[in-house]
Amino acid sequence: MKVHPTLFAFVVSTAISALLCSVSIAADEDYRPGPDAMPKDGVPRGEVTQHEWMSEIFPGTVRDYWIYVPKQYDGKTSASVLICQDGGGFVRGNGAFRAPTVLDNLIHAGDIPVTIGIFINPGVVPAAKEGQQARKNRSFEYDTLSDQYARFLLEEILPEVSSKHKLTDNPEHRVICGNSSGGICAFTAAWERPDAFRKVISHIGSFTNIRGGHVYPALIRKTDPKPLRVFLQEGENDLDNLHGNWPLANQQMASALKYAGYDYQFVMGTGRHSGRHGGAIFPDTLRWIWRDWKKN
Amino acid sequence: MKMHSLTTVLATGLLFTAGLKAQDMPLSQVLIEGEDWEVAVEGFEFTDGLSTDAEGNLYFSDVKGGTAVYKADLEGEVTEFVKDAPGISGLQWGGDGNLYACVAREQRVVRFSKDGVETELVNEVRPNDLVVTHEGNLYFTMTPTKEIRRIDPEGKMTVVSEGVVNKPNGITLSRDQGTLAVSDHGGKFVWTFRIEKDGSLAHPGNYMTMRTPVADPEIAKGDGMATDVHGRYYVTSAEGLQMFDPTGRMGGVIAKPDPSLPLVSACFAGPDHAWLYVANGGKIYRRKTKTSGALFFEEPKNNEAPPK
Repeated sequence: MKVHPTLFAFVVSTAISALLCSVSIAADEDYRPGPDAMPKDGVPRGEVTQHEWMSEIFPGTVRDYWIYVPKQYDGKTSASVLICQDGGGFVRGNGAFRAPTVLDNLIHAGDIPVTIGIFINPGVVPAAKEGQQARKNRSFEYDTLSDQYARFLLEEILPEVSSKHKLTDNPEHRVICGNSSGGICAFTAAWERPDAFRKVISHIGSFTNIRGGHVYPALIRKTDPKPLRVFLQEGENDLDNLHGNWPLANQQMASALKYAGYDYQFVMGTGRHSGRHGGAIFPDTLRWIWRDWKKN
Repeated sequence: MKMHSLTTVLATGLLFTAGLKAQDMPLSQVLIEGEDWEVAVEGFEFTDGLSTDAEGNLYFSDVKGGTAVYKADLEGEVTEFVKDAPGISGLQWGGDGNLYACVAREQRVVRFSKDGVETELVNEVRPNDLVVTHEGNLYFTMTPTKEIRRIDPEGKMTVVSEGVVNKPNGITLSRDQGTLAVSDHGGKFVWTFRIEKDGSLAHPGNYMTMRTPVADPEIAKGDGMATDVHGRYYVTSAEGLQMFDPTGRMGGVIAKPDPSLPLVSACFAGPDHAWLYVANGGKIYRRKTKTSGALFFEEPKNNEAPPK
């Protein structure tokens, strides 16, 4: 008996899907930092310093931030800039991203330009009295669709870091990155201020209705395209809750970016709402976002 | 300056993980399947000023047709708690055992003892709604003048916010009483302020964005507010009773019992303070919930973790 080729393909693909499904149950833990996130012999190591910032644009808030300066930075040539939201997680030595080590390795290899990293935590309004809880400002800062966060970077953080280090003001040489609400925050900053930020990396981005962010796919399709390069990572086991469905929202984003002719990359994995997958591919993501840096 | 294999980075990095897993607070954590609004009180013209005491009795006013402060006890029987007290728009029990009131019609803020004896606190003001901290700081909104005022435990009145909220109306506290939240009747935000050690307000933030009617996208008509033991904020509005989580994210909107009439006041009262009461025109409705109200006449407490 001859098996119909289409049916055969269907059976095979079903079997593969079933296999992938069973694999995906444990998939999130299977995403691990790779060799580019490990210190390598002979690669100079940059310095990370920790700082605190009291904001006026977000009144009453305080936050920690970290500055990474690579060994290759000479103090004379303007460095490119990488800004990561929820920065504490990105600089953590045993975390999913290990951004300082990744930057060490990629700068040394010439895959990306000499880059100063700025890793910023969200603000809190500290309690006035002992025993009370701080007002967490993360959702307000990250999920709100406005230029407020971009202004916070342009009018507070970047001038402060520039007072110590020579940073580029070329928007093509500023990458802005984040996870979850930090992902939509990165996109919003570039969407609002493409004159300042043109390279966006979003992992498990919250393009959902936490504070109205689900409208972006519709806006992208009906807006004169902006000169942005956008990387989106998402996982098929990500959240589906009152705010929205993360895998669907990110597919809508990717599809809108495609429709509108953007320079974008979309990576859909099998992970959950964590930074593991984004962290595992972070070195390649940086290579992709910087793929033509030597030409510019 | 340290190298990046720091241990300090380790500890602070935990914040990041916590941020990604912020607790979601859908309406299903509050509403009970199969339970709906039921009429708790009827026969009035324009109910307002919902407030509760330690036992869960409900106190309210009728700002248009009323002549008294009314009390609905746990059996639902309505009596006049204070006679000859018309035109009240806001009520709340203080930690000192007095019932504080905004007498809008007479432009006064007063308190009533347990026996109903009135003492005037201030006059020639335009009070709308109020909240009283356990320490005895009374904050009240002055909707027409864009002000929030404070009356301290010694009776001294100060303006603590002016021009920040367009039409300040509803007013509540975080459960730990460190944050004051005020709804805008002439805008779409609920504003939060930090209460300073001296009782003044600092760092206003347009922390919560309310849903607005399609026909009036900038005006939510934010009105009376309440807080629950998990730190959720509730605000009455044109679109219904809107619920926000402690980080200012909307959890959902509960439909008005009577969509044709304004929804102006909300309060947790009844047994265990687990019933949500709303003033919706001449009637007060209630529904049983899975949560219970924060009580500001009690000692400040931190938010309880919601059920998983």
